[in-house]
Amino acid sequence: MKSLKKAFLISAGLGAMVVAAHAQTAIDTSKAIRVAMVPKLIGLSVFKANEQGSMEAAKLLNINFLYTGPVTASAQGQVDIINSLTARKFDAITVTSNNPTELAPSLERAMAKGIAVVSYDSDVAPDARDFFIQDTAYPAMGKALVDSVEASTGPNAEVAILSSTPDATIQNAWLDAVKTYMAATYPNMKVVTTQYGQSSPSQSLSAGLNILHAYPQVTAIIAPDGAAEVGAAAAIEKLGLQGKVFTDGTSDPNSIRQYVKDGVIKASPLWDEVGEGKLVMYVARLAANHALKPNDTFTVPGLGTYTVNNKVIIFSEPLIFTADNIDKYQF
Amino acid sequence: MKSLLFGGVWDRALALILIALFAGFCVFTPGFYNGFQGTLSITEEFLPFGFVALGLSVVILTGGIDLSVGSISGLAAVIMAILVKSYGLNIWAAVVIAVAVGGVLGWVNGLIITRLRVEPLIATLATNFIYSSVAVALAGASPPYGFGAAFGVLGTGAVVGWVPVQLLIFVVMAIGFSVLMTRTGFGRRIVMIGYNRDAAHYAGVSVASVERRAYVISGLTAAFAGIILASYYDAVRPDMGDILLLTSITMVVLGGISIFGGEGGILGVTLAVMILGVLRQGMLIAGFSDMVTTMLTGAILLSSIAIKNLFSSRGFDLGAAVRRFTALRRPAKS
Amino acid sequence: MSSTIAAMPEPGRRAKSRRRRELREVTLLIATFAVIFGVGLLRPSFMSFSNLEFMVLSSVVLGLVGISQTFVIMTRGIDLSVSAVLGLSAMVFGLLSTTNNMPVWQALPLCMLVGAVLGCFNGFLVAWAKIPPIIATLGTYSLYGGLTFIYSNGLQVDQVSQDFENFGNANLIPGLPIPTPVIALLIVSVFAWFVLNHMKYGRNILAIGNNASAAYNAGISVRRTLLGVYTISGALAAFAGLIFVAYTGSATATTGTGDHVELQSIAVALIGGTAIAGGRGNLAGTVIGSVFLSVVITALVFLQVPAIWYSAGEGAMILIAVTLGARQGAKS
Repeated sequence: MKSLKKAFLISAGLGAMVVAAHAQTAIDTSKAIRVAMVPKLIGLSVFKANEQGSMEAAKLLNINFLYTGPVTASAQGQVDIINSLTARKFDAITVTSNNPTELAPSLERAMAKGIAVVSYDSDVAPDARDFFIQDTAYPAMGKALVDSVEASTGPNAEVAILSSTPDATIQNAWLDAVKTYMAATYPNMKVVTTQYGQSSPSQSLSAGLNILHAYPQVTAIIAPDGAAEVGAAAAIEKLGLQGKVFTDGTSDPNSIRQYVKDGVIKASPLWDEVGEGKLVMYVARLAANHALKPNDTFTVPGLGTYTVNNKVIIFSEPLIFTADNIDKYQF
Repeated sequence: MKSLLFGGVWDRALALILIALFAGFCVFTPGFYNGFQGTLSITEEFLPFGFVALGLSVVILTGGIDLSVGSISGLAAVIMAILVKSYGLNIWAAVVIAVAVGGVLGWVNGLIITRLRVEPLIATLATNFIYSSVAVALAGASPPYGFGAAFGVLGTGAVVGWVPVQLLIFVVMAIGFSVLMTRTGFGRRIVMIGYNRDAAHYAGVSVASVERRAYVISGLTAAFAGIILASYYDAVRPDMGDILLLTSITMVVLGGISIFGGEGGILGVTLAVMILGVLRQGMLIAGFSDMVTTMLTGAILLSSIAIKNLFSSRGFDLGAAVRRFTALRRPAKS
Repeated sequence: MSSTIAAMPEPGRRAKSRRRRELREVTLLIATFAVIFGVGLLRPSFMSFSNLEFMVLSSVVLGLVGISQTFVIMTRGIDLSVSAVLGLSAMVFGLLSTTNNMPVWQALPLCMLVGAVLGCFNGFLVAWAKIPPIIATLGTYSLYGGLTFIYSNGLQVDQVSQDFENFGNANLIPGLPIPTPVIALLIVSVFAWFVLNHMKYGRNILAIGNNASAAYNAGISVRRTLLGVYTISGALAAFAGLIFVAYTGSATATTGTGDHVELQSIAVALIGGTAIAGGRGNLAGTVIGSVFLSVVITALVFLQVPAIWYSAGEGAMILIAVTLGARQGAKS
């Protein structure tokens, strides 16, 4: 009957509103908290992009945000800062680490004092943090890096690797994924040499030039580091080899924009650093509120729904920059 | 002697500065004073520099310098870690071996300087490159970590509940070094060599042998600092020791030891270690950035020497300048 | 003690020391060619024009800083702040090239002025405040490094204007395949050589390095000469920074200081035959030394030596060069 139908509709409507309201107020922002973001080092564009996203999110989440880090990629510098944050009784510390184990004792001390610890990008020892935000699934990244090479120079390419340092955790994780995928999918593709650019643009440039001089048969350079990719691309252009040699890697769009437009870089995978910065703040807020469990799901307005799997949250699929889309991203 | 008297004044000034600094931070910086143990545990962050500074003092007193302390500490830490993780050696045995290796590396420095007649600056510059390369090669792609709670006591533990183990060791070592420098023949010979190498030689001191031993000491303390760092971070990295060099030199110089040798004492260095350490930690806790504290350390270094010169020179006129140049000249090595 | 004699030893001695100095330059030159041909036999691409050009170009920055370090070392001093000045100059002018579109010909004198001021401060600390050079420049090393950071405010230079890029890479004289930076290095070297060997100022520098009080007694204004030397050092280091950012198109807050260019410049000066005790300098040796270093390190890459051993190679070379030099020096 009409009245029953009406009642049904009203209650459904009310129910929906309750659900919606609950979803919107899911994150408790009543208490102002202090959250710090400690990048590997100050002064690298990708981390500045993180900061940008974090600052936006901090305003919505009632967070007093501090961005602080060492001047060089030093784990000891980070430990000093973490210790001072602990002494200053911050509510949450978010960090991407220069070294997974060296930071552990100081982070564990922070956790013992009730401070929430969220790591992102480069993880620390699992016992030393509450949650870890992984940029993107490692196998997916490896696949993206190798597929880009195959698309530029074919499946029989001779490839060089230009990484940052021999013990860089995340670079090694990606490179393992690269080698696994390469062996499985393009068995004729070979890695002829691995060189290191120490995350320094000029040393990466020298390393890139050395590769091109010493191994003239190389047609692609995989450079899974911000400075390395720029160095490799600059080396290719310096020697006038664009069109013959290609490179890809994991650099921010601003740094590689000109090289993508020049065709030296065809497809370069990364992820939305600004968005990741936002996510870091949301997870930090939830962790400080004790509102997130090791296996859970949650939603971030504007970014989507995320699953927490044994304290690990994967941010997104690799975002691949090409000449078509690179101008949409300014970081 | 002039140096002793001057040392007294300088040491007293340093002590006053330390007390003022510490008190100031306790009062004005929330979070600095964290209960007795909490505040003392701040020393754990900077005492490794202090260990290096003690050994470096001996070398600088002879008029030399050791630029390889950073790589020696990294290499020693890596060797210890590998002995434990890859060869299953008992951790304390590994520690002893690693520190001994540091001494050997220092002895190599000494040989190059005394036998091959290479200037200390260059010799240790070169060995710094070499040792750090070896450390990186040994550490490989995944440097070892996780050494257990017993080992962790060295870097982070406390005795009687509130005295950090590091602090205890440092105080004992400082006293030991002070005794070595002021009351033993060895110490007196070191100072004599620094003050006037030729005179020491003609006085019958076997200069080369004493110098070699000075570099061995520097190597031992550097290696020990590396072990402490490994304990504090519960991990090793080949470049762990890189930050030690410049700050340690600052501590030695701030402590009143002349870079040309022959002047200054361990007490001053100890006070300087505490001052620089407390200053840096206090500033970080107060919210200053890493960069500002580094710049401030540089500024302190400069002004402290300038002030020292102001007090000890007989004026700024050219006569004094000449006397200064003459006094600072080391006789040309033949 | 030979302290009573100023910079001019007796004629016989002078001829001998000049011969010894020439021996070092010649030795280095021979060694460089030996490495080039030796490795070239194994890997022909080592001798390709592109690679040769690269090795020489990448030695320009170090060569310039090496020249400034040579001047300072000749006065028995040392300048650890050169890398910080280099980094500051690279960052400042790299940013100016993109944000303000500053042309190279404006940046050039400006950067040398900035470097001169910074170097002058060093000179003041050494000559007037009587701070030992190693300490003074250690302090300014962290001060200037901090300035770089504050100026850049966390930014980094990823590219420079086309003007700058041409300066750093293109050939100055069309037709002559020598890039501008190499010509700059040659000009600076010649000028430095002239100052050292044919101007009173150069003789004063050597005199001070040999024996400062004798120099003073001979009427040389020690303080002003030292001030000049550190000012020159700063200006050259800043110039090197400009070339660096023009060539690589990048600068970060740790450019120069991160690679420890100051230690490398000392190494190059010593390999080149300059004595750390002062009083004797070898500019040609420094320049050839930096080319030699660049050639050897590139050779290591071509010989497929694992990257982790490059640093050891550099250290070993310093030791060898200096041991040979110390033996020669010891005989004087």
